Amino acid sequence: MATTFKTLLSSDIVNTRNFLHESVPLTGTIVSGTYNSTTDGAEYNIKNYAHGQFQSVYDYPYLSSSANHLFDVTVGYSPKEGSDAFGQADDPAPSTADSQYTKKTNMYSQMAQLLVGYDESGSIKPFRNPIRDVNMKQCVFLPFSRLLVKDEIKKGSFSLAMYVSGSDEEHGAGFGAISALGVDPVTFTDASGSDGYYTDSPAGEYGVLFHNDDSPEADDAGAASGLLYYQAGIAVLTASIFNDGFCGNQQHALLSGSNQGSAQMFMSGTIDNFADAIRHRIQNISFNNTTELNSTIYFCRANANEFNYSSNPTYLSESQIRVKTNASDQPISYLTTVGLYGADNELLAVAKLSEPLKKTNTNELTLRVRLDY
Amino acid sequence: MAFLDNSGDIILDAVLTDTGRMRLARGDGSFRIAKFAFGDDEINYESYNKNHASGSAYYDLTVLQTPILEAFTNNTSTMKSKLLTVARQDLLYLPVIRLNHDGNSFAGSTRNLSTRADADAGGSYIVTADESSRQNIGNGQIGVLHGDSTGVTDQNPLAFDQGLDTTAVSISTNNALSPGNPLRETQYIVEVDDRFLKVATPADGSIASVSFVDDDQIASYFFSEVADTAYVENITIGGNEGNRVNDNQSPLRGPAGSRLKIKLRATEAATNGTYLFTKFGNTGYQVIAGGDNYYYIDTTLRITGFTTGYRVDIPIRLVKKQ
Repeated sequence: MATTFKTLLSSDIVNTRNFLHESVPLTGTIVSGTYNSTTDGAEYNIKNYAHGQFQSVYDYPYLSSSANHLFDVTVGYSPKEGSDAFGQADDPAPSTADSQYTKKTNMYSQMAQLLVGYDESGSIKPFRNPIRDVNMKQCVFLPFSRLLVKDEIKKGSFSLAMYVSGSDEEHGAGFGAISALGVDPVTFTDASGSDGYYTDSPAGEYGVLFHNDDSPEADDAGAASGLLYYQAGIAVLTASIFNDGFCGNQQHALLSGSNQGSAQMFMSGTIDNFADAIRHRIQNISFNNTTELNSTIYFCRANANEFNYSSNPTYLSESQIRVKTNASDQPISYLTTVGLYGADNELLAVAKLSEPLKKTNTNELTLRVRLDY
Repeated sequence: MAFLDNSGDIILDAVLTDTGRMRLARGDGSFRIAKFAFGDDEINYESYNKNHASGSAYYDLTVLQTPILEAFTNNTSTMKSKLLTVARQDLLYLPVIRLNHDGNSFAGSTRNLSTRADADAGGSYIVTADESSRQNIGNGQIGVLHGDSTGVTDQNPLAFDQGLDTTAVSISTNNALSPGNPLRETQYIVEVDDRFLKVATPADGSIASVSFVDDDQIASYFFSEVADTAYVENITIGGNEGNRVNDNQSPLRGPAGSRLKIKLRATEAATNGTYLFTKFGNTGYQVIAGGDNYYYIDTTLRITGFTTGYRVDIPIRLVKKQ
């Protein structure tokens, strides 16, 4: 009997899982500077919201449909009094005198709830630096978009270079302004992430971000500056990086007129102010993302005596096969397409060859069609 | 879709069709790939030149240089012609499926929509959507089929004959594509837009059971020679010994196999309203020159031989009096 379909046997179907990594470089000029207005300094690729809880960074003016969301910037601090990352008491303690006290504490609590979880009493646990063994009470959050992170950030690939020195005015025109001060940016990496990550987060695995400044030495416990949640795609930096002495002997003033410790800094200014100030200090961000590809491979095999004729209307001229002159000539067909069908003959997937393949009764073909999910 | 880069290694560009994605999204296990077929939609075998002066290496040069488009995701836009497996490798003739517009007991001629004249090839059928339109058009118009529930009963069915359309092979009981012959078509797939038309039985015009309706509202009906004898029948050999023909009704000039018979009925939505016509169709077609104007929708009836893969598209114009 003639047939156009061939049933796939179980040996023709193979399931595989692969990890695909892409390099994601984000230059500081995208984060601040490239799309600034020349007249009023407005940043067209930075989206501020009326709620003022975070700021979004796009790769193009965000009103354009071509724009892609890259990441958000926000800050928050713990509503609980206690020691900061240096083990020192808050000074001042969290206070409702801060006009955005609620927003900042809610932001911290939300992030902690998702990324750190709860203790046995059901209370939200604070972010904790496992190297220093201290809580991180004031934090900068950089949640990266799923477009960039895909399934997760590849462990050991993250790098964030930013200036922790200089005043907001000096950074106002973008990160380039600080380079004129002659100081080097500090690079935060998850250097040991590939083999030294932690698994006690409800959001998946996380690594420690270390800074590379000379004092203390990079990868020392003292250089532990934040956390990187790989599957969530969120970097959490302690605000202490802006404290004098944390990353070498640099001068720090995250916001205008402040040259104080992180606790004081975070009590003043809005989240948008902080987001601007942090963005303007970023020189470069890079990481590799990971996409988990679950694939099914269908081996479509055409044996020598199969698929040698065609139902193409041009195949026949008055019912005679065009590619044959005599009945004894070998049948020839040319395949360009593989159709994968369900049991009820519905076309579920289709694959196209880049050029026609000749099929005769003297050759056999195996086409490997991979569907990724 | 653009052409695929054919300058280097052979690549395979695979996508899920819209139906595949719909089934995957449904999450009920209906997305299960069970079989495959090969297609050659882009190939024009007329460019195979077996008389090329430079020799056999050049016969298929043009064919092999055919550029291939990226995969379409619309499931009805691809795999129009499939490669065929037949155990015998020494075949010189293959069967086709022809619309039978000659037989006295079938639907009759198609019409050229512009001239309204009988079209030997490339014509269309007109299907009336309601009784009023049918009565207004009256009898005797070329290529007009009664698609309303009353008129369909006395409408002759559409017939599609399968077999060899050549005089090079004589018609005889010895070479007929009788049951058991590997080139005989035993199952037919009828595809029609479910919003406009339904397939009906050739006997009384009652609506046939649809196999499935895809995401583009294309309904597929399966008719097999074994289970659906009301739709699929054998084409017998008639005439006298030495001057044999296919039952005096078939357009096929060579040995014939099976015949599919169906009727078409307008859907209730097309019969009872004008919404479909204003959304998908147009106005102002005169079925009779100088006569009344009709709403119309142009659609296609597709017949595919499940076994042989041969496919015929018949243009249909559904009309309703304005």
